[in-house]
Amino acid sequence: MNNFARQQSEFQRGILDGDETVLAEILDSPREKRDVLFGVYRYAYGSRLVEAMRNDHELLHLYLGDEMFDEMGHAYVKARPSEHPNLRWFSQGLPEFLKSTAPYSEHPVLCDLAALEKALNDAFDAAEGKVVELTDMAGFAPEAWSGLRFRPHPSASRLELATNAAAIWLALKNDEAPPEATALEQPARLLIWRQDVTPMFRELLAEEAMMWDEAANGIPFGVLCEMLATYDDPDSAAGRGAGYLHGWITAGLLTDVSVGS
Amino acid sequence: MNVASRLPDSAAAALADRPATSAKPPFLGFGLGLRHQHYDEILSGNPPIDWFEVISENYMLPGGQPLRTLDRICERYPVVMHGVSMSIASTAPPNFEYLQALKDFAGRVEPKWVSDHLCWTGVHGKNLHDLLPIPYTSEALDHVVNRVQLVQDFLGRAIVLENVSTYVQFNNSEMTEWEFLAELSRRSGCWLLFDVNNVYVSAFNHGYDPMTFLNGIPADRVVQFHMAGHSHMGTHIIDTHDHPVCEDVWELYAAALKRFGRVSTMIERDDNIPPLDELLLEVARTREMAGKVLPAE
Repeated sequence: MNNFARQQSEFQRGILDGDETVLAEILDSPREKRDVLFGVYRYAYGSRLVEAMRNDHELLHLYLGDEMFDEMGHAYVKARPSEHPNLRWFSQGLPEFLKSTAPYSEHPVLCDLAALEKALNDAFDAAEGKVVELTDMAGFAPEAWSGLRFRPHPSASRLELATNAAAIWLALKNDEAPPEATALEQPARLLIWRQDVTPMFRELLAEEAMMWDEAANGIPFGVLCEMLATYDDPDSAAGRGAGYLHGWITAGLLTDVSVGS
Repeated sequence: MNVASRLPDSAAAALADRPATSAKPPFLGFGLGLRHQHYDEILSGNPPIDWFEVISENYMLPGGQPLRTLDRICERYPVVMHGVSMSIASTAPPNFEYLQALKDFAGRVEPKWVSDHLCWTGVHGKNLHDLLPIPYTSEALDHVVNRVQLVQDFLGRAIVLENVSTYVQFNNSEMTEWEFLAELSRRSGCWLLFDVNNVYVSAFNHGYDPMTFLNGIPADRVVQFHMAGHSHMGTHIIDTHDHPVCEDVWELYAAALKRFGRVSTMIERDDNIPPLDELLLEVARTREMAGKVLPAE
């Protein structure tokens, strides 16, 4: 390793790990000691990353308050140094960190809240995609409908939450006192997407969630209706399927509908 | 101080001068750093701003509102790209994935130029998201010249590099920052972004006269000025970019205008973003000062 590379390694260790080796190669300034000056970089590192997390997780920050959020943030910064040149992606691992790291893992609502915010952030700047309109459906002959396959908009994603984090998110967003965190008997099935430029989410019934997931896997409409028939009244399965499909299209959730094997 | 004379023969031969073949970027006038807080006002009004600088990484995203808004602004104003993650002075291998994304973004924006900083942001796969200082040695200079040439070849354009605010100096430096920048520009063909505030900050922090720095930069290599504010800590200054430009920096700007002439100038506020009107007053002041200092065209 050349001298320049060695110096950068030591400088980085000084910031990340508090190692002081690099101080031997740094000068005092006319007015200040080197350790104080190097400390500007040490402080800026943690504070800049935690600030980025505050921006990405505005409502988790509101929920935890400054002190607890920053303590959690610095723990995340320590555990998962950034490996991406764009700060936008730094907090992507936060839900997983909160799920797997005590004491946060003892409060699953934190992981759920972070996961919901992450999903909304990801929808906000997800790739563009054509949006299927209701008028596009008029082009398909009635006999073709059973073979229709659907492709979700690039911004769409699914999330299952074990807690009432969605209700807490809504309360915080509306400047209301959040309800007490509780575990749900059945997971909340959320669909997250971007409508025009606005990230959205809504909760799905079990059968709509199943239909969405299977549609996203390429299962054709006819088979989706057969699957719906196993969830509720078989006679109304096709009508329910058409109703869900109508909702997806009017919400801008589909980017393509096609007939094919 | 003649840096080239201190290089080993082999290095000097390998790093033979590369003439700056690309045309000097045009004078754009008096601009502002684009911030999302001002999108609506900019698009619904007609603010007296000649051009915008965008933080590249803020838009190197798959899609959504930021890119859509930027597309609309690019239709109405000249835009330049300013990055914070090129890490041009890092001893880690070049990040070609980042460079490809930057090149793709430049293809969309068609900027007047692409800039970043003379600094490094991390090694060993880590990114510290800071503009970290380097020792001003011939070893570092050779490395950065090579890296700039590689990046310029990859991007297919000469890049513009900015002096950063620094808080520490290394005891193995063999030359001054301005000598390093001058040599870097001469040998690699890159252009220079002269951040007036950063010169002021570093000069205070390290105890030299900012005019010495200013006079050490070759006048014909500077294509952009940054004007910004900072936070004074008594024994040192931190480059926070969250305050209005202070009077000392305005004075230094006047001196920079005298030395470098008509150079595209912009107000750069990164935090504590005020209403657009407040920043427009600072943009107007850059225009007014240039009008007083520079001879009429």
